[in-house]
Amino acid sequence: MKIHSRSIIVMSILFMAMAFSPLVSSFPTGISGVKDSGCNCHGATTSDSVVPTLDGLPEVYNYSETYEITVAFTGGPSTIGNINLGGFHLWASDGELEILDATVQKYNPSEVGHTEVGNDQTTWTMIWTAPASDKNIEFILHTNSVNGNAGGGAGSSGDEWNRITAKVSAPIEVLEQANPYVVLSTLIVISAILLVITVTYIFYRTNPDSFNWKTFEPWISEWLTSTDHKKVGTLYFLAGLFFLGVGGIMALMIRIQLSVPGNDFLTQDQYNQFFTLHGTTMIFLAAMPLINGFANWMVPLQIGAPDLALPRINAMSFWLQPVGALLIFTGVFSGTGADTGWTGYAPYIVSETAHVGTTMWVAGQIMLVASSTLTGVNFLTTIAVMRAPGMGWMQMPLFTWSILVANLMLFLSIPAFGVGLVQVYLDRVIGTAFYDASSGGDPLLWSHLFWYFGHPEVYVVIVPAFGVISEVIATSARRTVFGYRSMVYAMAGIGVVSFIVYGHHMFTSGMSPTLRFVTMLTTMLVAVPTGIKIFNWLKTMHRGSLVYRTHTLWALGFLVTFTLGGISGMFFPSMAMDLHFHESYFVVAHFHYVLVGGTVFGFFSAIYYWFPKMTGRMLDERLGVLHFLTAFISYNGVFWPMHRLGVWGMARRHHTYFISTEEAMGSLPAEAAGWNMFISVSAFLFFFSNFLLIANMIKSVIRGKKAPADPWGGWSFEWMTSSPPPTPSFGHFNHGEWVDLPTLKDANDEHIANDPSPLVKWFQSLMVLDDENEEVSH
Amino acid sequence: MSGEYHDDEHEHQSAWGPHDWSHGAPHNSWAPIIMSIGVGIFLYTVASVYSWGEMVDPASIPLVLLGLIITFFGLLIWWRQDASFDGVYEPRATGTPFQNIQIRKVAMWMFLMSEMMVFTSLFSTYMRYRLGLTPCTEIYESGSWIVNSQTISSGEAVNCFLPASELIASSWFHIAPGAINTFALIISSFTIVQALRWAKKPVGTVDEEVRRKRVYRYLGSTWILAIMFLTLKMVEWFIGFYIPEIPFLGIQEHDIMSLVNEGYTIHADHYHPHHGWDDVHLAELAAANPDQFSEYFANIALLEGEYETTDAIMMADIRVSASTFFVTTGTHGAHVFIGIIGLTYMTWKAWIGGYTPQNAVSIEYFGLYWHFVDLVWVLVFPFFYLY
Repeated sequence: MKIHSRSIIVMSILFMAMAFSPLVSSFPTGISGVKDSGCNCHGATTSDSVVPTLDGLPEVYNYSETYEITVAFTGGPSTIGNINLGGFHLWASDGELEILDATVQKYNPSEVGHTEVGNDQTTWTMIWTAPASDKNIEFILHTNSVNGNAGGGAGSSGDEWNRITAKVSAPIEVLEQANPYVVLSTLIVISAILLVITVTYIFYRTNPDSFNWKTFEPWISEWLTSTDHKKVGTLYFLAGLFFLGVGGIMALMIRIQLSVPGNDFLTQDQYNQFFTLHGTTMIFLAAMPLINGFANWMVPLQIGAPDLALPRINAMSFWLQPVGALLIFTGVFSGTGADTGWTGYAPYIVSETAHVGTTMWVAGQIMLVASSTLTGVNFLTTIAVMRAPGMGWMQMPLFTWSILVANLMLFLSIPAFGVGLVQVYLDRVIGTAFYDASSGGDPLLWSHLFWYFGHPEVYVVIVPAFGVISEVIATSARRTVFGYRSMVYAMAGIGVVSFIVYGHHMFTSGMSPTLRFVTMLTTMLVAVPTGIKIFNWLKTMHRGSLVYRTHTLWALGFLVTFTLGGISGMFFPSMAMDLHFHESYFVVAHFHYVLVGGTVFGFFSAIYYWFPKMTGRMLDERLGVLHFLTAFISYNGVFWPMHRLGVWGMARRHHTYFISTEEAMGSLPAEAAGWNMFISVSAFLFFFSNFLLIANMIKSVIRGKKAPADPWGGWSFEWMTSSPPPTPSFGHFNHGEWVDLPTLKDANDEHIANDPSPLVKWFQSLMVLDDENEEVSH
Repeated sequence: MSGEYHDDEHEHQSAWGPHDWSHGAPHNSWAPIIMSIGVGIFLYTVASVYSWGEMVDPASIPLVLLGLIITFFGLLIWWRQDASFDGVYEPRATGTPFQNIQIRKVAMWMFLMSEMMVFTSLFSTYMRYRLGLTPCTEIYESGSWIVNSQTISSGEAVNCFLPASELIASSWFHIAPGAINTFALIISSFTIVQALRWAKKPVGTVDEEVRRKRVYRYLGSTWILAIMFLTLKMVEWFIGFYIPEIPFLGIQEHDIMSLVNEGYTIHADHYHPHHGWDDVHLAELAAANPDQFSEYFANIALLEGEYETTDAIMMADIRVSASTFFVTTGTHGAHVFIGIIGLTYMTWKAWIGGYTPQNAVSIEYFGLYWHFVDLVWVLVFPFFYLY
């Protein structure tokens, strides 16, 4: 029984923490500024004795008509003879407010308030111009009753305020428009509930007879506390797919907004948050966890290690992510999410104009950086030291190589980002001045720190997909991968070059032409190793006997889309082209071709390839092919037309666009509207086509065929264990020593048959073998 | 937690050996999830207490503490499960080129690689500002900041770089805490190696009681030196110290002010620098162009009776300089603090005789980290304190 009391203590601490956290009144401005939660009123107390009135508004407005409205209040401490009497703040959801006299000032077209001159009144008048289209208009009025103590209006004790709202209808009745935040939050909550139901159902299926808390508690505790690389990998995988869905939902809302010109589903402000969080979610909360999911699962299996080198650090890497994700989304749930773009450019990110949620976005990112650093330590160590006896560097499977290269890149670049984030966090929280231009801070420094990390990062998410494709194509073509050594050197080359190309993200920042030229050349250099890899994949298939499985189809799809993305990528190193295409939809098209067509397709291929190994169940090939066909076609429907929109000049990160038949600045030809609608429809198709994969996985877990140990005829170590693999994956632990670990001889010589290179042998001879009883000599 | 299970279902062997590296301690751990939640609460609540350098919500301070307590609680669980008091098991590498080297030693080297990048980024920030902003002294001596029509109170602050070394290296007393700290860290690197040396002596060649004493005394010395480092840092940043009159050295009784008391803070947007700057040049300028400077100096004479007319007052915005100084040295200080947490455990373990030649290598892991922290200080000291 001891365990139960222990668990209960731990659980109750966690629940206490969860219960306390929302109480934190971190955002004193309330959830979205003055219109919702109060005013800049004197005195903290609302009072029913203050009675605000709002006169002169019609019930139903006429288009563009002007109305004179009168704001007044009675009651409260305000009495004639006070130095000051009161103030007000009025917000209108649409139309334009105009002032009539000096007692009222206009903050912006939707907000007015009293002036200092207007302090000694209790009624104010102003003009409201109705909009020219049908809208449901809401007015929110705050009035402040002031007793005028302490002279000069300085004192605020004893003052009271109150608030009323008023509604004005349109000539033609319009339905209430959905609040995008509510839509997003609802969808996220529904997805989370579905996730919980799925998890519960899977638990039920594992043993329908003992579906009760007594067996559920240890089962769920096992998942929450596991340090087994396979379980942590599965958790990464679930988290990655969940956030892929959340990021997808945000993409759909962006597409709804852009489907017609001049749309107002999202406001500018909301649009900024949605594209910021779409980017952040997809890169850091979807792509990275998916990579880590596969890496966790496959790297130890592929190198014949019992587990990762530091299993508990591995669990720590994972659990930092969901908590970091919560912080990142905190702002969105309260309507003040980060609106900085995923790049978080300074000085905007350290300006008070950027939403308060930005601080939490930065805090969440700091946790993700910590997570990535721990992951890096773990994988580099594991791959360096725990390969099966006899497996040299040049005998490692290419997927493991890709994880090694990716983690090395990530590991060496992410501290720069982390330091930049900490600086921004400190700027926003304790008031340091790293990026405060008014104190001499340099906003471009942030760009340097960010892109020093950011560019390797985009290779970090694509290189593991290279590894997957190498495995899949070699297995499907029934032969060893062509040019193994050149594949390794190409990946390592990408890893090295990735650190010296980031200047191309800053071509328009006014950097020196010499450096532009240098980064232009180095960026173009990236095409060389990438081209080598594509050539090798093609050569692997050439004269192989290709077996078309679902994962093969995805790999072939990857080859097409990734190559297209690579070609459009070659426009950007060229300065002249870059300056033209910069911030246009051409950029959006390019990076979605490499990130979706490259990374995500690679992952889909990996899911179909390794799912039988992970779960011991085969996926349905027919559903898989259907998924490939629908997703591949709709995916191209989404992103291919974006190239054209970009060339026409449609700007990225803008919440709307306008079409015109004239050559007007910033407007697009009329066809652009049609193409945008086409893209939006395709986006919905692409989003929902991926439910075929989810359905396939659920179906397979419930009643899939049992998978053999090696369903595809792969050669690497992971296919030597049963499906799913036992724990520990290889060998067993006996009296402090591992026994029965596999050696390279156990694997097929044909697949991994290279001798260590002379360089490796030389380096090996330099390493001193450490003897336990040796006297340490420092 | 689940290590306490006694039913067969959960008595499975861990995937990675026994988890406290010595006996069949639990494979599963609540530590990661608890620590993550603690860190999340901490980052969240700190940002609710402070905003843009002002304390906006003191009521949330208990929640900051709650975050820290939860993190520490997670750390304790981890500690109890992973850091044993009498472990002998050290897994070794199987792959080349690290064959037969302890895995955790390799992991520590890998970790230091990323630490290197952390400090590289901080130094890059520092160098960008140090080399990119005009030094305050240069602006001061040029006299270009003097605009005749403005008074001191309406004077615009000048953006310039004022390295902390302007204050710290201004006298032997000011630099004393930093200098003593440098030697403290170097000596502590020596003591940690001595602790390792004694712990590693083969059984039989040394009396076990002697070994226990030597190891805990050396580790304890390291611990004391680390504590001293942070204490002196607090003195230098916040407290300052008092110098009595020393007649035979000709030293007057005076206070050495801390950096914060000198006004060298991250909020110093109207800092008044005055440490030993050469104002002769200014006096010459004033003499040559009396019209241009007369009103300004008259203002000074009016406002500050104690100033000579040539003691012109330049207001400097030194927030960037102070930010780089405090954050870089603060990050280093945080590393020392983490080292202290580790040393506390190790000293305790040594006190109860936990170190044997078989597990002495764990002192080496810590030593690698500690040497790195030391090395960083050896760079921080000249960059931030001397020049």
